[in-house]
Amino acid sequence: MATQIVMDHNGDTRQNFDANDAKAVLKAERRFKALTGAGFTAATRTADGEPVVTRTFDPTAEETLFFSRLVGG
Amino acid sequence: MFEQLLHIVENHLRRFRTGLVRGARAFHDWFWHGNDSEGRGLKLLREWLSPQQLAQHDANKYFDVTGCESGKRYRIYHGTSMNIHEIDGAGRPRTGWCFVPNTNLVAGDVMLVQKIALETDECGALAVAKKFESKDQLN
Repeated sequence: MATQIVMDHNGDTRQNFDANDAKAVLKAERRFKALTGAGFTAATRTADGEPVVTRTFDPTAEETLFFSRLVGG
Repeated sequence: MFEQLLHIVENHLRRFRTGLVRGARAFHDWFWHGNDSEGRGLKLLREWLSPQQLAQHDANKYFDVTGCESGKRYRIYHGTSMNIHEIDGAGRPRTGWCFVPNTNLVAGDVMLVQKIALETDECGALAVAKKFESKDQLN
């Protein structure tokens, strides 16, 4: 089961999807495009646990984390 | 006479009990929902920290990251703003940097975003960041 995690004021909101279910993958890809199109950054982790920013949807990623645009504090 | 007095006391007690229940419920909501968000943020942060960063965070409430472009080291303290310090080879804080996501997030989420930004797009993060003087610079 793959998970898309969107950071929000509640901590985060998670959407799980089955990477073997074509319909679910399509829905997850649409969500990815909608979020990144709205300015969110998507990050996944390598096998070593290193974070990587990704601009294309990867249905095999176990976890994809989304966070909003950065601003000076 | 006695019955009237009893009735008045009962009414006061009922009002007091209702107020107490409402207060307890409000406290419960504040305590659990507030802490749920904070707890979720910290749990997510812990899942994404490297083993070294996790150990450091558990021991000191901060962790160090290495900038992907400059190789400089930054110390991220628990917090949601003005919590990043560039550190020198001896671990002394130098310049302070402040950048955050543009949505209202809990501390764990903010720290995780700061870690990912410095480890994957250091220049991009620092380009939007505001500098501040760390305490050691002022001394």
